[in-house]
Amino acid sequence: MSRRLLELTINGETHQLLAEPHWTLLHVLRNQIGMMGTKENCLEAECGVCTVLLDGRAVNSCLLLAGQAEGHQITTIEGLGTPENLDPLQQAFIECGAVQCGYCIPGMILTAKSFLDENPGHVPSRQEIREAVAGTLCRCTGYGKIVDAISVSAERRLAKQHKEPAA
Amino acid sequence: MNAEAFRATGRVAGKRLPRMDGIGKVIGKHVYAADFTLPGMLYGRVLRSNKPHARIVKIDTSRAKAMPGVRTVITAADIPAVRYGQAVRDAPVFALDRVLFYGHAIAAVAATTLEIAEQALAAIDVELEDLPAVYDPEEALTNAILVHPDWQDFKVLPILVRDGNMTARTRMITGDADAAFANAYRVYEHRFKTALQHPGYTEPRASVADWDANGNVTVWTNTQLPFDTQTTLSEILDLPVSRVRVIVPGIGGGFGGKLRIGVEHYAALLARNTARPVRVLSTSEEELIAATPRQSAVVHLKTAVDRDGKLLGRQGRIIVDCGAFAGSGPAMASVSLQVLAGPYRNGTLALEGIAVYTNKVPAGSFRAPAGPMANFAVESQMDIIAEDLGIDPLELRLRNIVHEGDKGPSGEELKSVSVEECLRKAAAAIGWHDRKPAPGRGKGIACSWWMTTGGSSGVYVKIDPDGTATLVSGAVEIGTAALTGASQVLAEALSLDLDDIKVAGVDTQTSPYDYGAQGSRTAFSVGNACLAAAADLRQQLFELAAKQWNITTDGMELRDKQVIAGNKTIAIAELARLSRLSGGGLIAHGTANSPGPAFDPGRVENHMLPAWNTPSFHAQAADLSVDSETGAVSINRYVVAQDVGFAINPTYIEGQIEGGVSQGIGQALSEEIVYQNGRVMNANLTDYKMPTAMDVPEIECILVQSASAAGPFGAKGVGEPPCIHPPAALANAIAAATGARMHSLPMTAEKIVKELRSARE
Ligand code: FES
Ligand code: FES
Repeated sequence: MSRRLLELTINGETHQLLAEPHWTLLHVLRNQIGMMGTKENCLEAECGVCTVLLDGRAVNSCLLLAGQAEGHQITTIEGLGTPENLDPLQQAFIECGAVQCGYCIPGMILTAKSFLDENPGHVPSRQEIREAVAGTLCRCTGYGKIVDAISVSAERRLAKQHKEPAA
Repeated sequence: MNAEAFRATGRVAGKRLPRMDGIGKVIGKHVYAADFTLPGMLYGRVLRSNKPHARIVKIDTSRAKAMPGVRTVITAADIPAVRYGQAVRDAPVFALDRVLFYGHAIAAVAATTLEIAEQALAAIDVELEDLPAVYDPEEALTNAILVHPDWQDFKVLPILVRDGNMTARTRMITGDADAAFANAYRVYEHRFKTALQHPGYTEPRASVADWDANGNVTVWTNTQLPFDTQTTLSEILDLPVSRVRVIVPGIGGGFGGKLRIGVEHYAALLARNTARPVRVLSTSEEELIAATPRQSAVVHLKTAVDRDGKLLGRQGRIIVDCGAFAGSGPAMASVSLQVLAGPYRNGTLALEGIAVYTNKVPAGSFRAPAGPMANFAVESQMDIIAEDLGIDPLELRLRNIVHEGDKGPSGEELKSVSVEECLRKAAAAIGWHDRKPAPGRGKGIACSWWMTTGGSSGVYVKIDPDGTATLVSGAVEIGTAALTGASQVLAEALSLDLDDIKVAGVDTQTSPYDYGAQGSRTAFSVGNACLAAAADLRQQLFELAAKQWNITTDGMELRDKQVIAGNKTIAIAELARLSRLSGGGLIAHGTANSPGPAFDPGRVENHMLPAWNTPSFHAQAADLSVDSETGAVSINRYVVAQDVGFAINPTYIEGQIEGGVSQGIGQALSEEIVYQNGRVMNANLTDYKMPTAMDVPEIECILVQSASAAGPFGAKGVGEPPCIHPPAALANAIAAATGARMHSLPMTAEKIVKELRSARE
């Protein structure tokens, strides 16, 4: 099959590779570049473990063709925080006991991030949070502590916004 | 073991500390088996049957083998004729002369890319000739169609009674049930059915295998039982067990679905044939047609009571549908009898458990295997009895539950019995006094008991020269935080902080043996082994200090990371350094085992688990509303009161409860692997409906702590019980809300609405 040169911007870094046109972004991330933080399961946009951000919006990378991601900012879990400097959501997931096996967690955190970023300035209700993450299956936690973590993170974000009002 | 030497001071054990592997998991660094790769790795795929029962007329792999990029194609003809299995050795790696279920493995391919491997599957020429099949477990008992005509040739555990499609029969008998029934005030008889449920872990089963130059194989895989997998692989590969090495990088959930060999053997066989590392990763479809779901079951239950609702006897039979291979079915037929007996004074018992073959997916041991099926029957029927006698369902239970010192169903003495406390707390929290608050709204309750599975655990604990400790265990951290819990126990016993403990990965070549991450036993059993290792290390530290100070060890203490004798102190770190100079460093091997209690063998026949280790007790209560038009259930509140003995880490115990209840809600309301004429109709995650964040209510946890004698600081097993009660608790609440009594799982909106309509007519 004919490969063509693909240029992807992942977590602010440029990656060039030869890709077949039908390759999904998930395949490129995991099997071509070797970034394993984005998980795979159903490959049919049914479980959400493969979620990444495309220009800040949550998408299922198992369905998105890698070529469609060209020219967009791709954020994976590896681009969110480091052990020394965790993203507030990552911090809250740990503190709230929202992590069990952890396999759904990268997708869950990125879904939550895009949801909170789209809803600045208020703390969403638990029901709104549940709706927002309903596309990502978690079999371990029963979701309660995940909702806690997203909620805590939203509260902290708002408190911080009040402390440092935008100029 | 010196467990009594340590008292929980609540410094580390009992605290809500963050799990040790949390950071790696939230930043995407934690490596799971599905993430594991090796250079030059090939991709393996498995060809599976598209017919439920058929004779294999022909398999021609020549076209597939000739494809560029295909490195090997294997079928049953290419490998040793080995049958494996737990109680019954009935399962070959690939179908032999017949396929026995839709999804049965026929061949496997390894190729340079996954796409080529998939194309090669399509190029394998298979001719199948349909055979009549048997799908219904009750029919299978009398049907002339045998799933295994050669059933008598199988190697089996001597305890099993078998006959044709019946692959196990066990009984539990106490007193004269017939006489009790003859004298009863009333007798109730019902039939309940439950469905096949997939464990639903989010990481599919994945294995990478590689052979070294000396003919040893290493398999990196997401198994819950690395030592069991090692043994099974050694049988399949016909190798001494020491030449098979199993490493578990990380595992994305198991819930009992990753106990037995899954795709490891395909990877190992393909790797042997190609002399290349090979990875096999299940697809979602394979998961749903050919993994090991929870068995479906049919329960007939007959209960005799006196005028006051006191139980006089239970008779009944549970039929566990194993699918095409026995798997854990015989054990589940056994365990289900304890659940049918329930935490009750039954008077008399005459219960029978049967495991039967059908031409369906071979089932396995999903979380609290056999628990929800039997509990759905017994706890639904308790409510039916209560309703009929005009007794409050909670009151009926309180009149019949077991108490401290009572005999369990096998004649064992019951200790630390807390079912009354659990029932009362769950009822109070749900607001039991107002059980039918509005039309279409109702509350239900269910209680149960469950074992803490035995089996032995070994750990090595090594003290490093900076005074921290490394825990080497053969138990896999499957997500429950059980190894964080065991580390808390260890830290407590060594006067360390949790941050001072590191946990090594599981590798059968270097890790001490562990019976495995199953049966609610990991934190309990590994925790006990940690206590034993800590006792040993403490003695070693005392002796080193004694030598240093030229005194005896009398009156020495281990506190604040130092050994203390009177006004002398020396840090653990310093002693670890001293030990390196002359003693080869500080290391201890701690072991633990919990033998079951004494029981009366006259009460059980052919039972594989006759008396439960350290049982726990629990109750759950639901408050829900049912839409009378659509039958849709919305759960308003859900309460769990569970006796955990001692809460080593309340946060993750709540996590176990919330996750288990959510799986139980799935089983109760939506989950079913649906078969039509032997074919799975919903082999994808859209049509197989697991609960989303929208379907699970807030779950309120009440941790009851009635200490056990055997667990670390009094702990009992925690992980499995939460998924036992939801089907019954929700069925009872649906009945309270609508008057409709559901007898089969899942209780979908369609079924409920049908029941409501027929009640109206
Ligand atoms: S793997 Fe992409 S949604 Fe499941
Ligand atoms: S933490 Fe295991 S699936 Fe969510």
